[in-house]
Formats: sequence, structure tokens, C-alpha cells
Amino acid sequence: MQSCTHLIVGASHAGLTALSAIRMNEPDAAIVMATREDHLPYSPTVLPYVVSGRSDPAKVTLRSESFFDENKVSYLRKATLLALDTGANTAHFPDGRSIRYEKLLLATGASPNIPPIPGLKDVPFHVLRTMDDALGLKKAMVKGKRALVLGAGLIGTHAAENMAEAGMKVTIVEARGQVLPGYFDHQASGIIETAFKAHGIELVFGRAVKEIKSGQALLENGDAIPFDLLLVATGVRPDLSYLQGSGVKSDGGILVDELQRTNISNVWAAGDCARARLFQSEATGIAGILPIAVEQGRIVGQAMTDDAGVRNFPGSVSLNTYTFFGQQAISVGAGEAPESETSLCVDEDRNTYLKIVIKDGRLMGAAAVNQALDPGILWQLVLRRTDLSEVREAFLADPKTISRMLMSRIWR
Amino acid sequence: MSAYNSLTYNASLCVGCTECMKACALAKTGDATNLDQSRIKIVPAQEPEKFEAAICRQCGDAKCVMNCPSGALTKNGANGVIDWNADTCVNCLLCTVGCVYGGITYEASVGHVAKCDTCGGDPACVKVCKSGALGYVTTASIYNDYGDKEDMFVPGLAACQGCNSELMIRHVMRKLGRNVVVAAPPGCIPGMGTVGYNGKAGAKIPIFHPLLTNTASMLSGIKRTFERQGRDVTALALAGDGGTSDVGFQSLSGAAERGERILFICFDNEGYMNTGMQASGATSFGSWTSTTPVGDKLHGKSTDAKNLPMVMMMHNAAYVATASSVFMEDFYQKLDKAVEASKHGFAYLHLYAPCPSGWRFPAGLTIDICRLMVESNFVTLWDYTPGGGLEFTHPVDTPKPLDSYLKAIGKYRHLANEQVDRIKKLLEDRLSMLKRFQKA
Amino acid sequence: MTALAKHKKMIVVDGNEAAARGVALARPDVVAVYPITPQSSLVEALSAMIAGGELDAELMNVEGEHSVLSALQGAALAGARTYTATSGPGLAFMFEPYIRQPGMRLPMVMSLVTRDTLTPQCVWGGHQDAMLVREVGWIHMYCETVQEILDTVIMGYKVAEHPEIMLPVNVNHDGNYLSYGVTSCELPDQALVDDFLGPKSVNWHVALDPERPMGVDPLVGNAGGVGPSMFVRYRKGQTEAMAHSLEVISEVHADWAKRTGRHHAPLIEEYRLDDAELALVTLGSMTGAAKDCCDMLRDSGRKVGIIKVKTFRPFPALAMRNALSKVKAVGVVDRSVSYGWNSGPVYQDTLTVIGKFGLKLPAIPFIAGLAGADITVAHFERAFDLVAKGEAPPGPVWLNEKD
Ligand SMILES: Cc1cc2nc3c(=O)[nH]c(=O)nc-3n(C[C@H](O)[C@H](O)[C@H](O)COP(=O)(O)OP(=O)(O)OC[C@H]3O[C@@H](n4cnc5c(N)ncnc54)[C@H](O)[C@@H]3O)c2cc1C
Ligand code: SF4
Repeated sequence: MQSCTHLIVGASHAGLTALSAIRMNEPDAAIVMATREDHLPYSPTVLPYVVSGRSDPAKVTLRSESFFDENKVSYLRKATLLALDTGANTAHFPDGRSIRYEKLLLATGASPNIPPIPGLKDVPFHVLRTMDDALGLKKAMVKGKRALVLGAGLIGTHAAENMAEAGMKVTIVEARGQVLPGYFDHQASGIIETAFKAHGIELVFGRAVKEIKSGQALLENGDAIPFDLLLVATGVRPDLSYLQGSGVKSDGGILVDELQRTNISNVWAAGDCARARLFQSEATGIAGILPIAVEQGRIVGQAMTDDAGVRNFPGSVSLNTYTFFGQQAISVGAGEAPESETSLCVDEDRNTYLKIVIKDGRLMGAAAVNQALDPGILWQLVLRRTDLSEVREAFLADPKTISRMLMSRIWR
Repeated sequence: MSAYNSLTYNASLCVGCTECMKACALAKTGDATNLDQSRIKIVPAQEPEKFEAAICRQCGDAKCVMNCPSGALTKNGANGVIDWNADTCVNCLLCTVGCVYGGITYEASVGHVAKCDTCGGDPACVKVCKSGALGYVTTASIYNDYGDKEDMFVPGLAACQGCNSELMIRHVMRKLGRNVVVAAPPGCIPGMGTVGYNGKAGAKIPIFHPLLTNTASMLSGIKRTFERQGRDVTALALAGDGGTSDVGFQSLSGAAERGERILFICFDNEGYMNTGMQASGATSFGSWTSTTPVGDKLHGKSTDAKNLPMVMMMHNAAYVATASSVFMEDFYQKLDKAVEASKHGFAYLHLYAPCPSGWRFPAGLTIDICRLMVESNFVTLWDYTPGGGLEFTHPVDTPKPLDSYLKAIGKYRHLANEQVDRIKKLLEDRLSMLKRFQKA
Repeated sequence: MTALAKHKKMIVVDGNEAAARGVALARPDVVAVYPITPQSSLVEALSAMIAGGELDAELMNVEGEHSVLSALQGAALAGARTYTATSGPGLAFMFEPYIRQPGMRLPMVMSLVTRDTLTPQCVWGGHQDAMLVREVGWIHMYCETVQEILDTVIMGYKVAEHPEIMLPVNVNHDGNYLSYGVTSCELPDQALVDDFLGPKSVNWHVALDPERPMGVDPLVGNAGGVGPSMFVRYRKGQTEAMAHSLEVISEVHADWAKRTGRHHAPLIEEYRLDDAELALVTLGSMTGAAKDCCDMLRDSGRKVGIIKVKTFRPFPALAMRNALSKVKAVGVVDRSVSYGWNSGPVYQDTLTVIGKFGLKLPAIPFIAGLAGADITVAHFERAFDLVAKGEAPPGPVWLNEKD
């Protein structure tokens, strides 16, 4: 049986960041990285650009073959984790392959959430999480004329834009009342929606799909929307079937402590599969975003190598950068908070929007459309709970400049 | 792993002229007017007339790279720069989420994320910065050039924690290599075991204990003999300030006068620190030492330090320089020059070597003290050649307050205001005297 | 091997120049100089020879005697044959590196042009300077004549660099009498000297050379561990080499005699001693006058002889015992004092030999020739008279006290 010191399952942002951190601390430890894919590592985030043709699938790999050679990492393709025996420290893969590990990282990400809509499973539909999904969607777009997108989250809006740009007639159905709920408020998403509509995309809000029949979707109000291409983008959830019988606890996501360790002491989890603490609430949750996968991956890599410099995961902060039809939207942290003050600045002529939420002199969140900000700096200001009272007015007027100034002073 | 050159920004010197931003915009777009195009961003500080900056740090373990879903950002192993690839970038802005420094940013008028690429190692911004706030530190070359060179001393030399001298003798010998004969007169350097102790060797090179008094003359004899044999061997002294300025001074002066082809490095820790912190001629005014104690009648050393480098300059030595372990590039350059000069004349390097044990400061602060010493103008870095005159290699025009230096060091704790005033006066006088030797 | 030179080359020189000529024949690599009375004309002569190209050596004009010897130690560690000369206060100033030279087992020859020591201020002859450093570990040989100076300087190198010895040698000649006394003497052939000394090798055992890296003179000692025993090994080796040098000195003198025809007693010279009843022990140039006195007394039928000490360190105890055992009473004429014993150093060593070998004979201490004072035939006659009486006075007899 193959054995190794560190087994990393999943070859995307969380796994790769952990890998670098491990190698930094342990130049010689035996590392295996297993993925269910037959590809070199790539990011799900880039898939909309593969769909649109902006990105060449051959050029979006995050690591090359030689990277694994140089770093003495054994990279296993088509190795879907099927089951775990945490007592024997062994992971089981297809074709009877098993790997014994000393330390295990689960970084298996998430999978599309398929809603229980009657008729859905009887019709061909697309999702967008893997390269094969993207290539399949791209191919389908060549023939398709009318697309229906279920869900106006990041995946749905990205894909809708790509399809509209490709000349398709696109409709998005979103049960909630706006695009990108959770990241932007009504007003900000309004700007986004305007752009979508201007590009011929039809937006249907507040209606759930009651049933899918071949070639059309029936909404609860009785409307029927015809399509020849259906994309389901109604959120993601981790597929943790491999945990069955392993003793690793999960609750929609793998439960972890502040160093991303599971209830089993030599098993860690990071990224979209992990349910970790949230920074701005007492609850835990799956962040589902790339920067947090990177953040957690680094912490795990350090923790797995007993790096004395490892710091607790402070908790996920909501972070989003979104580009649409050449425009940009950014959000950091909470869009609202009890007992906070909100500064809002909308310039309809310039099509800009800026919202800043401050509580007790501390930044809770900021969102902007078509207004440059440094989200990385704002994220730090949130995490550090930096006191802004002295610069409050200036900050509200020009958060970009003032946050740069604060950065240079405080953590330069 | 390599070390890399890097841009530095000293906020205290910045005058906010934004010349760097114009130069950057010009270098990147051919147009200096749109400052959004600048990769360096100077912003006003909270205090009037003060400024701060946002610029890419070319992080070793860069989060922007990790955040990039398209592989458009990569750490360049050769020069350390985070390279951005316009072809593969999808403008998702996730890199700007990863960067906590505002080093990679998006501006609508630019149309894509942009970051500093150090202009291929010759940054345009640094060249136009008149205030000295921006710098381009190329010290990395020292690490790259010498990091893999053999350490000529054994591990585990018995120096005190935080010893600057041990650090620096290792640097010196890495650079000089094996073709040397090293004199280590009694003091900390042989005391830590470099020459050997009871049958155990301390170094991989020919090294010896001269007497405290005769370092320069023994080296003279060695060098002359090798010259007579037609061999080019560097004769090197790694001496303390006592052996240099006090009992060793006659032989030093004689060798310098004779123009002996020697490289003499004095590690100035201001006294006899190896033997219990007694005062030497190089001990600074006011210093507590075990022979200039502090009591009702005596208040530390009552006389000023003999200024050895100036004295050596007056010998018309082929090369004289002062150096500090904080300014390694400067030190290495001086070491190069000194080695070269020692092929045709007497070369003298005076290295300021703060001593945590004897000066009473925490061992972890050695390098900070070294820096403060220079930046408060307590000592001055310069070099001198008979033809070229004196050149200040790290002029400090707006020095840190002298108090910040004196207060950081236990041996000055007792100083009365009059004593501090005297030191101030001395430093001013010394600086103005040095200036008189400056190149026209 | 050259036998007797066919054409003797005679030169007329004083002792200082004779030493310089001897040095030049020994071909040192490095000569370091600092002038001092009465040595100055010696280093002037050497400097002139180097300036004129007669002697191919590195001349180091350093800033004091301390540096003179220090530079030469460095040179020796790099493989050089070295030479210098000094006197009185110069030797005192040189003391720090001087005491170190034998410990490093660095061979060299240094002329001590002996001079009385301060204070009172004095620039004239006397053995006090050399006597003060007699316990430091250098070999000390005292010369009687200008020729002996020249010859002994050369022989000194052979002794010093002998692989079983490796110690520094002082070849001492008296300030004034010998340093400035001009006589004719024979200058050996360069080829003869080259052949006599053979190839030089001064740093095979301890070197400062990148081709043979080593730590020279590391710390050795402390209360526990291997340090002290290691130190003992160094010291013991040094004292054993010193003792062994008596044999080597004798061999070297015999070899020199065979090549040049000039016999100098290596350790102790017995002059008209075989049937003598009384003897005087002498050191250095005074021996000439002592021998004259001896001849004169012999002419008048008195059975007297002279015991000249040539090698004073190490002390040739056996040779001294052989000489002393031939006579019934002895007097020792010192040109310096041993303050602690209220007599002279040679006298003390003579007493030691008498005691060590259980000899039964009275020994009378004389002190003469301090600060350049003449020691004449008349002084020696008085000394013989006192020895003849056989009464040892409580303190030394100061022969020049009433001059
Ligand atoms: C279309 C799209 C657009 C997105 N846009 C953004 C965006 O703009 N901003 C943002 O912050 N985030 C975005 N995301 C989310 C972001 O991509 C994820 O948060 C991030 O990729 C999570 O990284 P991860 O390493 O945790 O998991 P993933 O990237 O999901 O990687 C999981 C890895 O595990 C492997 N794997 C899964 N199960 C198994 C198994 N059982 N055995 C072996 N291997 C397995 C997979 O093959 C893959 O290699 C987007 C996602 C998608 C799909
Ligand atoms: S904007 Fe470009 S460089 Fe930055 S993360 Fe996105 S793809 Fe990478």
C-alpha cells in the first residue's frame, strides 16, 4: 500500500495553498495530492471564462506537471476519495487503491446543489463546477438559442453573461428578489441588473420553478419559459459521501476548529468543504469563496507541519469581486449590521455606488460598484477592527486613499 | 532559494511630490499625466506634510498568486518579482482581495489590474525620488553571492547571544575565503574560540593569536614573507578596539606608516568586553564600564573616545572606512575596496559593533542598535582614499534624536543632561571635521 | 664537503660588523631593525648590505623593538629565516614577543649587543640585559672575540633550525669591547656557509599558510579537562629540546671546526686548567684579559687556569662539573648582578653545579665590568689572590669599586 506523510485530497485553491505551506516547512516529507479530475489543477472560478472563450483551457492550469516533480509531490489523477478509515489512517480510492497517511487534508470543495424540482432529473441540464462541465456548456452554446439559468448567484450571473455575449437569448430565474443576494443590496444589484437588461438578459425574480418539462420551465405563477439549454446554478454544497463511517463529523460541511482540524486529530479540512467559524457572527458556515479557501489552506499547511507561526483562522468574512459587462462590483464584509451607521453614496450619472457600514468606529463592511477600492486592505481593516473614528469623515469620503494611508501606517 | 532586490519606502523622508508616480505612469504608459496608471501610490498621511505609500512588496509567499484562478500571477524565481500575465488575466480582481498592501489594484481608467514590476530591476520611481524616501535595496546579491559560500568558522563559537562581532567575522570570511592569514588578537573574537581551545579548532583557515600589542607587526612580517615568496595572500586582522586603539596602536600606526599591505578590521565594541567590560580608548564619553563606574564621584567615562578611523585617515592609509552591519551592501562594498587597497597599501576598516552584554541592551536588539547608532549620527559611515578624499556613504541629514539611541542602551542610563549635551557637541564637531575632508 | 679554504679571506671589522657579515652569509629572508646603542652600527651595516644588494633580504624598518620581533615571528610563521639585534632597553621593550618566541618553537638568531640596564642612565657594556632574560627559553651563547661572533651567528642558525631543537638563539657580544673593537678576522666562503647550513626549514611544525591551515597558538589550559596536560606537553617538549641543544651545539661547533679549522669551545672552554689549582670563571670578552692574566701568573709559576662559559643557556652543567673538578678553588667573575642572591648569575649557576655534583671547593663571587668599566689583568690578578686565600666574603667582591 502506498503511504505518505501528508495526503491532500483535492487539487484546487485550498489544497494547493496547503501544499506550498507544507513544502515550505518540510522540504522532504512525502506528499500525495489526489484529485478526482483527469486534469492538472485549475480553479472553478475561471470556468466562466473558459465558457466565454476568454480563457484557453490549456492555459488556466494552476500548477504544471513539473511543479509536482520539482516539489517531489505525487499527483494522482482520477483518484476520487471513496471512503476513509481514520482508525487505520487509510484513504480508499477507486480500483482498490488505498493510501496510508500520517496526516490528511480534505479539500474536496463543493458540488452544485441540484434543487428537487419535479421533472428536472428527466431533462438534460448543465451545471458549472468542473472543467468538463465548462467544456460541455461551451459546446452546447454553439447550438443553443435560448438559455435558461436557474439561480442568480455568482455562477449563474457569470454564465448568463457569457451566453448572452455568445448571442443567446438568456433568462435568469432567481427565487430571491435580486441578483447576487447576500453580496449586494438592492440598490447595488440594481446597477448590475440594469446592465444585464441592457444586454438583453431577462431577469425573473421572486418566482420559484414549479416544474420542468422538456423545453420549458413552469413557474409557480404559471408562466412558462422555453429553453433549449438549461443551466442549474442554485448554489453549491459539498459532497461528503466519502465520510460515511469515517467518524469525521460534518453538518453540511466538515466541522473544524480554529486551526481547521476536524474531530479526528490527524485530519484537517479547508475550503468549500469545511464548515468553519464566521468572523462577523457567532455561527459557523461554509464561506464558498476562493480567498477563504486560500486562507484556510495556508493555516492547515502550517498546522499540519507544526509551524509555530500558525495563527487561528479568524473566521470567514464575506468577500466578493464581480466583473460584469466591463463593470466592477466589490463587496467586503457585512452589508448591514444592527446598530451600525451606513454611509451611502450613489451617483447615477456616473453609474457608481458606494456603501460603507461602520459600527462603534469600526468598519463592518463596504460595497462598491464602478468605484475603485482595495478589497484586501478593507478586509484587513475589518479583521483588525481598526478604529476609524479619527479618520471617519475622510474615510467615508475617500475610502481608497484613506485605507491605503491606514495600511501604510499600521501594517506597513 | 534566492534573495531578491527590493524597493523600499521611508515615509519619514517622503515630501509627497508624486514625482515617483509620474515617473511610473510614464514608464508604464508613456504618459505621465494619469496618476491612476502609477503602480506606486503616495497618499497623504494623517499628519500634515507627511505621506504614506502603497506598493507591491513582491511577497515571497504571495496571496495574490494563490488567489489568482487563471494562473496569471506567478512569482518569478529569477528576480523575485510577481509577474502579471495580461494574456491569461481574466480581470476577476481576486488578487486585489488577497493583497493587504494595495500592491495590485484596479482602476477603471487602466482597465485591468496593475502592479509594480520593478521596471526590470531599474525602477523609474527610485531614480526620480529626490528626498531619498524611495530606495532600491540590492543587498540580496550578498545573500545570493555569498549565501552558499563556506562559513570559515566552526558552528557553536562561544560568543554571547546577539554578538555582532561573530556575525560579522563570519560575513568577512565567507567573502574572503581561504587564501588568507587571520590575526585575532586577544579579545572577544579569539575568546569565542575562533583560534581554537584545548585542541579543538575554531576555523578552517590559518588563524592565530597575536599579542594584543603586535597584530599589525606580525601581519607585516607574514605579508612581506609571502610577497617575497611571490604569493598573494591576504593578511587580515580581526581585532577589537582595545587592541587597535590602546596597546596595539603603536604597531598599527607603524604598519600604516610603512604602507604594509594589510587589511586591518577593527570591531569596535567600545571596550574590553571579553574580560569584563573595562573601558578602552575607544569607549565613548559617559559610558558606564567596569573601570569607569558610576557613583557619587565618577559618572562613567570622563573622556571622549579616540576616533580611530580619523586617526588612520591621517596616516594616509590606502583605504579607510567605517561600516555597520546594518548596511551590509555598504559594508561589502567597503570590504571589496579594502581588500583591493590592501594589495598595494594599508587598508583599515572600522566596524561599529554594539555589544549587548557590555552595553546592556537585549540581545535581540543588536541590529536595531546598529541602525539607530547610524541613524542618530552617533557614528558616521564614510570611506576615504588618499586621492579621492572622504565620502559619506550613508549620510543622515535628518537624524533620529540622539536620546533615542542613548536611552536604548543601559551603559548610558545614568547620563545627566550636561553629559548628553557634551556628546551632542562632540558629534557635531566630529561631523563638521569629517566634512572638511569630503571630496570637493 | 669543502675542507679548509685555500685562500683565506681576511677582513678588518668590529664586532658589530662581524655579526652583520655572519648574518649575511646565513642568508636570512627577513631582517627587521630598530637602532639602539651599542647595536646601531650592526643594523646600519646590514641595512647597507641590503641596500647595496649584497644581501638579498626583506628589510623592515619598524617603529620599535616590540614590532621588530613581532614582525619576525610573523615572517617565521610564513617560512622566513629571520634576524635582528638589540640591546638593553630595546630588549626590555621587546620582552613581550621575546618570551613568546621559544614557546612557538620558532627558530631565529638574534644578536644581543649586551648593555647594562637602567637606572642610572647608561649606554655602555655589561651583561645585565641578557641576564634578565636568561630564564625565558632562548639559547644564550656569549662570544669572546670578533671572529667568534661571526662564526657563532652562523652556527646559531644551524642550532636553532635543527629539527630536534627549533628554538631561538641569542648570540651575545659585549657592547663597546666587542661591538666597537676592530680586529682582523676571517670571512668564510658563502659556498661553505651554504653547505654548512643546508636547506632551511623553519615552519614545518607551525605555520600560517593557506596551504596548511591551522590555528596557531590557541588557548590551552584551564583548571580541568585536557587543557593543563596539553600545556604540560608543550612545556616539557620545550625544556627537553633546550636540554638536548647542548649536544647539538657541540656537534655544530665540531662541524664548523672541521670545515673552517676554527675551534671554538661550544659550551665551556678550559684554559690551562689541567694542572691548575685555582680557576676563574669568565663570560664574554673579559676572557681575553683573564687569559692574559693567567699566562702571566703561570709564568710566575702559579697553577691557575680559566673556565670560560660560552653557552650559558641551557647551562652546560656536566662540562662545568668536569672543569670545576680539576681545581681546588674557584672565583666567578660576573658582569651583572642577581639582586636576590647578592651576587652574580654565573656565580649562582656555578654554586648549583657544585651542589648538584657534590663537589668540595670554595667559590668566590666577583662582580666587574658594569657600565662599560674595564676589567684589566690587574683586576683578575686580585681575583686570583682572593681565590687563593679561599675565604668567601659575605657579599660579592666589586672589582671596579675603587677604580
Ligand atoms: C463558476 C464559478 C465561479 C466562481 N467565482 C468565484 C468568484 O468570483 N469569487 C470567489 O471568491 N469564488 C468563486 N467561486 C468559488 C471558488 O471557486 C471556490 O470557493 C474555490 O474554488 C474553493 O476552493 P476549494 O479548494 O475549497 O475547492 P474546489 O475549488 O471546489 O476544489 C475541489 C477539489 O477537490 C477535488 N475533489 C472533489 N471531491 C473529490 C473526491 N471525492 N475525491 C478526490 N478529489 C475530489 C476536485 O476535483 C477539486 O480538485 C466560483 C466557483 C465557480 C464554480
Ligand atoms: S485579476 Fe487577473 S491577475 Fe488578478 S486574480 Fe484575477 S485573473 Fe489573476
